[in-house]
Amino acid sequence: MLVVILRLLAWRVVLAVPTILAVSALVFVVLRLIPADPAAMSLPPGAGLADLELLRAEMGLDRPIPVQYVIWLGNLASGDFGNSIFFRRPVTDLITAALPNTLELVACGMFLGVLAGMIGGLAMFALRGGIAEQVIDLGSSAMMAIPEFLWALLLIITLGVAFPVLPFFGRLDPGMAAPGGPTGFLMLDALLNGQFRVLGSAARHMILPALALAIALAPLVMRVLRSSLLETAHEDYVTMARLRGLSERRILLRHALRNAVLPTVALIGVQAGFMFGGTVLVEVIFGYPGLGNLMVDAVRNSDLPVIQTVALVYCVLVLILNATVEIVYLTVNPRLRIT
Amino acid sequence: MSARAGLLHPRILIGGGIVATLALMAVFAPQLAPHDPNAQELMYTLLPPAWAPGGNLAHPLGTDSLGQDVLSRLIWGTRTALYVAVLAAGGAMLLGTTLALLAGYFGGWADWLVARAVDTWMSFPPVILALILLVGFGAGLNNVVFAIIIVDWTRFARVIRAEVIVVRRRDYIAAARLSGFSHMRTLVSEVLPATMPLIVTLLSLEMGIAVIVEATLSFVGLSVETDVPAWGVMIADARVYMNQSPWGVMVPTLAIFVTVLAFNLLGDGLRRALDPRLRVRGAA
Repeated sequence: MLVVILRLLAWRVVLAVPTILAVSALVFVVLRLIPADPAAMSLPPGAGLADLELLRAEMGLDRPIPVQYVIWLGNLASGDFGNSIFFRRPVTDLITAALPNTLELVACGMFLGVLAGMIGGLAMFALRGGIAEQVIDLGSSAMMAIPEFLWALLLIITLGVAFPVLPFFGRLDPGMAAPGGPTGFLMLDALLNGQFRVLGSAARHMILPALALAIALAPLVMRVLRSSLLETAHEDYVTMARLRGLSERRILLRHALRNAVLPTVALIGVQAGFMFGGTVLVEVIFGYPGLGNLMVDAVRNSDLPVIQTVALVYCVLVLILNATVEIVYLTVNPRLRIT
Repeated sequence: MSARAGLLHPRILIGGGIVATLALMAVFAPQLAPHDPNAQELMYTLLPPAWAPGGNLAHPLGTDSLGQDVLSRLIWGTRTALYVAVLAAGGAMLLGTTLALLAGYFGGWADWLVARAVDTWMSFPPVILALILLVGFGAGLNNVVFAIIIVDWTRFARVIRAEVIVVRRRDYIAAARLSGFSHMRTLVSEVLPATMPLIVTLLSLEMGIAVIVEATLSFVGLSVETDVPAWGVMIADARVYMNQSPWGVMVPTLAIFVTVLAFNLLGDGLRRALDPRLRVRGAA
């Protein structure tokens, strides 16, 4: 088992290299099409043409694009991600500050979304054939027509403004300091430092953005789980279990679900990649200091070094995620474990 | 159930009906809108809808922070949404289907190339790729269309390529080749029709996706020019005044919801009606 997983991991790493190279080249070339001049934008007003040429040379913008790309790759390999034109700080600092926040948000969103989706899928299966199933079915089709960022706004209007029960801006109550801990994950650090007031505030700030992501994911999980449960319902082992006199609940949870969960795992893997896309606007709307917010700020200011690095970070995240899903898939599905 | 009866499926009727209504709204926006969508009445800013207290019948859905009529902007916004939906989804369909047909039919290096491109595209959240493309091209509605085509062709390519690989092995394709059809003719008159149900379904779903992407990008301010009404821009403007007037956000959100739902229903209905496998099982 372990050998299979390790072999898979090694293969994924080998395959990741050309993908990352392709993505980085794509991003680099597209960004060089930019109609604005990043050097001109980063100059103070009143600077002359000579200053501009000097800065262009300093930023390497006067060289041919392939040369710029190779220089950039070389810098990346040595851990130098360049400096943000807009924030005037190393890109590495910006990303190490933002990345844990986004990961925390995606983890919470995934957890809530998968939980709600599984419960919904099981409920739909249990209620199959009835009017309640039709209602849930219709409701889930309707929910799928609303993208994450609109859920975010609807949640703010309802639970933030109309019935102000939850905060909807930032990560902590105003005046509260981040715990500054070993991991960089705010909630985890607060827990490790025993600062439960901070933890509570962070958790309350997390609910609405995580919910916005979860609501977009849940209907998909629910529908896939329902249809794979329906397929397993006709399998011989379910009939066998029924003949042996097991209760319906036990058949559902111990036999049908274990087999039906596979396509759901695959779906969650694909959707988790999309969820990183969903965080972009959700973070902007909730003023949540993650990668998405950083990306949109960078896009608005044509901050090329930040844009291209954040893009690569997203790519690496998706690749890691895909590999993780494959491993989970292997562990849940013994049929794939043939070495 | 025959295909003709399948096309009268309630999902197709409801989805298609809403899409047709939206299309009429888009075409006749100048006649339907009660006001100029950009006319500002600074005396009447942030009016609630007519039925709410303080509402004004002259502005049935209220006004925004600049005193512009929300209903008129909503109707004109239909134009922006459908313009992007039709052109972007159509373009993505053309590009994705062409590549899928070539890759699936010929196999070999063409297939390898398309499959690798799809893999690379899939290792990227679509929103991120769209943002990067718009930084490269510059903001603007036509660039949004272009970006959606470049981002979403893979949705067509992936699914249709798989279908073509199956269809290619069927006997009637071999028969067509044996009776002297060129590769081109086999592709266009034998393989393509077999994938048509799938293409039509994906096209409808993609139109819904295009509406969402356009709204997302205009929300960030990367899509339309300032004088063009778009639902995403309306939401972004109204968001600032959400505390005083939630309607400004609700109304365009509802418009996006109805539009996307209509395209999804239509696509779902078409899939059920056109997929012979589903029809046999009676699941339609």
